[in-house]
Amino acid sequence: MLKNVDEAKSHMHDYEAHVRAVEEDLEYYRTKRFESRIIYLARRGIVTFHDLLKAHSSLQRKREGSGRGRKAKVTMEKRIRALEDSLDDYVKGIALVSADGIKGVDMVIEDNRKERGDYDDFFRIKKKEHGGSLQGRVRKLEEDLRDYQLLLDAFTEALIQRGLLRRPDLERKRKVLHARGGWSGARIVARAWVDPEFKSSLIERGREAVRELGIPPGRTGKLGVVENTDSVHNVIVCTLCSCYPYDLLGDTPWWYKQDSYKKRIIQNPRETIRDMFGLNVPASMEIRVHDSTSDVRYMVLPRRPPGTDGMTEDELAKLVTVESLIGAGQCLQPSELGAVRKTQQPVAAPRTRPD
Amino acid sequence: MVNDRFRVGNRVKVKRENPQGNPRTPAYVRGKEGVITAVHGVIDNPRDHRGLYPPLYTVAFLVQDLFGGTSSDKLWVDIHEEWLESE
Repeated sequence: MLKNVDEAKSHMHDYEAHVRAVEEDLEYYRTKRFESRIIYLARRGIVTFHDLLKAHSSLQRKREGSGRGRKAKVTMEKRIRALEDSLDDYVKGIALVSADGIKGVDMVIEDNRKERGDYDDFFRIKKKEHGGSLQGRVRKLEEDLRDYQLLLDAFTEALIQRGLLRRPDLERKRKVLHARGGWSGARIVARAWVDPEFKSSLIERGREAVRELGIPPGRTGKLGVVENTDSVHNVIVCTLCSCYPYDLLGDTPWWYKQDSYKKRIIQNPRETIRDMFGLNVPASMEIRVHDSTSDVRYMVLPRRPPGTDGMTEDELAKLVTVESLIGAGQCLQPSELGAVRKTQQPVAAPRTRPD
Repeated sequence: MVNDRFRVGNRVKVKRENPQGNPRTPAYVRGKEGVITAVHGVIDNPRDHRGLYPPLYTVAFLVQDLFGGTSSDKLWVDIHEEWLESE
């Protein structure tokens, strides 16, 4: 896990880490997941900028009179929690208007990758740079989130006005999205630790094997499971975009989508996981970095921590961290259970993903 | 469907350029040599891209062959057949 988020306290102790995670994720979702899609549809005249403008005006008319109440004085911790909630709303809102929900639009993920410049810097949408005092950064994020949400609302309304999305479908999708439970990665790993047959089936057949656990295998690509052993430590990256079996395991932490992680981990894997995550891999062990460049989406099957004999599958699942599924951390030790996990979640918890 | 041209253990070289090829071969392995460690075949993935890509392989490279240094760590990269040549 990240060095700066692993302190054992149940309340937020490192504002900087939380704010940074919101900044990184917000810009990622805006540029890579949302605005690139608007541009794609605008280029093809499916949703024009004028549609967005019209939709925005009609939304404003509806809102008139409701007015915002004056904000009470709130603590920094509450403001940051509110930012994290707004970011979640924004990410879920993007998921609601994802391409496969838009009627008659033939758009595949690869189109979006091209549009947002994964293969050609010319098409990159510039991410906002952050800096300054913590106060200032929080204020800026509050403003950005309000603005970004306005555009998302207008886009959603424009899709409805253009007849590309039906309101009942939208509501149905919203319910499904909010009902979606936590991540399944931990359950998959825990079963593999206790059941050798399941483990070999998981490694051989990937997605198909997880059906046994009642987990839907998801839809994108093939699942590659790479097992950590005494001699090999596996790490996952996607240098071209940020591929990961999201549909199955939940979303990755913010740093997985960062260019600096992608660049460093391939050039200097050992030093990178030591410096970024405080994980020392013995010199005798090989580090194997898997770059998800195509249709195989990888997960790491971490090693079972020592001292866990006799633990139930449910207890074992609690030891599995998001980081350990990427190879950027080990699983928790049984003694670390409890408070640590609570502080880790706000920063590293999987988000519901648009695609 | 075409038969897979390579087997696990084959040494291969990644083409430097391949204008007709799909764009999912990262720049840092182009022109480099590696060893096939897995044969995935053709993967149907209509949500991700249109049509079918050629057979897919995992190719293992040494980090030091790509970026210098003395590390014995490895990079495993998935590459389509159209990008690979026999060594």
